Amino acid sequence: MRRVLLATLLALALPALAHAGTPAPLSAGDVPALLKPPAHGVRILAIWALDCAYCEANMQALAKLQRAHPREVELVTVATDSIAQGAQIAARLKAMRMDGYPARAYAEASPERLDFLLDPNWGGETPRTEIIRADGSRQGISGELTAPQLQKLRP
Amino acid sequence: MRQLILTLLCLLSSAALAYDMPGMKMPRELALGASAAFDAHGRLWVVDAADGHVRLRHSDDLGKTLSPPVDVNAEAEPIYDEGENRPKIAFGSRGELYVSWSQPRAKPWTGFVRFARSPDGGAHFSAPITVHHDRAEITHRFDALAVDGHGRVVVAWIDKRDMEAAQAKGQPYLGAAVYYSWSDDAGKSFVPERKLMDNSCECCRIALARTPGGEVAAFFRGVYGDNIRDHAWALLPTDGKAPHRERATFDDWRIAACPHHGPGLAIAADGVRHAVWYEAKHGPAIWYGQLDPGHPPKHLLKLGGPGASHADVAVHGKTVWLAWNQVDANGYTLMLRVSADGGLHFDAARAIAHSSAAVGSPQLLTRQGRAIVAWNTADGFRLVPAEAP
Repeated sequence: MRRVLLATLLALALPALAHAGTPAPLSAGDVPALLKPPAHGVRILAIWALDCAYCEANMQALAKLQRAHPREVELVTVATDSIAQGAQIAARLKAMRMDGYPARAYAEASPERLDFLLDPNWGGETPRTEIIRADGSRQGISGELTAPQLQKLRP
Repeated sequence: MRQLILTLLCLLSSAALAYDMPGMKMPRELALGASAAFDAHGRLWVVDAADGHVRLRHSDDLGKTLSPPVDVNAEAEPIYDEGENRPKIAFGSRGELYVSWSQPRAKPWTGFVRFARSPDGGAHFSAPITVHHDRAEITHRFDALAVDGHGRVVVAWIDKRDMEAAQAKGQPYLGAAVYYSWSDDAGKSFVPERKLMDNSCECCRIALARTPGGEVAAFFRGVYGDNIRDHAWALLPTDGKAPHRERATFDDWRIAACPHHGPGLAIAADGVRHAVWYEAKHGPAIWYGQLDPGHPPKHLLKLGGPGASHADVAVHGKTVWLAWNQVDANGYTLMLRVSADGGLHFDAARAIAHSSAAVGSPQLLTRQGRAIVAWNTADGFRLVPAEAP
């Protein structure tokens, strides 16, 4: 019986492993967990959009930072496009080699409410970088990060 | 063993999630990019997109009931219908109905501007045509549509051919460009496109409005100097003369980003250019002002800060209406301010509708001297009266 159960579960779970780069939906109820200060170091939300011409370079700069400090920096990509475009978002993340990071996409058909919940002082321009530190402090930066801004993010 | 089963169960829940996602297997939920307009007879027309078709519906009871949809494009194709993108609708003087939209191509950020015409008030549509003569697989999207005083159909869009050319030569080029074209034959064909301005924003809707002289004017976000995202004003000449554009906002918001937030424009019979726009130099802000191209706008008024977005403006005589979305944790409120003296003074901001579901950008329409806000929500299309106090 156990063996049958195990085989069934394995078969059902395999697609999840195959879709590692697929974004998970981000709804209003998920925002507090995403904004909760990490146990140590810093969580960085790399917020981007399919339409955004500046986002890829920004995400890759943040990925470089994360790779240099893998234990201190947790990087999550958040697409402001609707999860209805999940397949496109996943394809774009893969094309820019950002599919190795936890990925979220908005679970609403328009982005403004989630923008506001993530940071009320943000008007939706992308890229947007939200920095959440273990000490509870927060910082949000709109636009492609400059070299000095990236330097300041180093743990 | 138990632990293994538990782990697998965890994976299973995320697998179930993945298969729940629309766009994977499920039919895609409708995006909220819709446009509405009243024709000369007071009939409301609404265009949006579903399953690869721009669909047209009309209403004779102020939006309470909508007609069954007519497919504008018989053959399905990809359609941009989210955020700053939405299909557009305009009317000719002889019962023609014009529809434009942007079609995503295979590569990221690419698109073609598409157009279809109905000579018989929306009963039948011609096969869609691509407006621009340039067929490179690059950005031609964020279309805007208007009809001038002579009945010419004018289309403007964001175009990256100059950026691509500069990149190929290894030269810097900030932003994109705005191009436009027009049709002298009621939308059967379009003249080769003209450049309106280099260095526009890449991702913000273009506002078009007709001047009292019958010309079409554009108000759109540009890129000035080192990534300053202020707005430009230009008339779109249809006589072969070179367009003349001028900077029209001076907020100095410098940013290497896509604001996803284009402006609104309405021109009064006395020529006053009423405008609304977004900037975030000192935090998010939407503004009203009267454009004085080449100089900062007059009668500046800050409409909203955090959570305020996507304003629109309408004018009739001395009455000016401003509408925008105000978001908070509970959802969206449709806000309104009205001026009875041509925009010199406005009444206090009022909430005129609420939606807990997602909403599109509000669109202010006028009909027989009254304003009505078209508000597309995930719960359905709504018309909200914008009554003067």
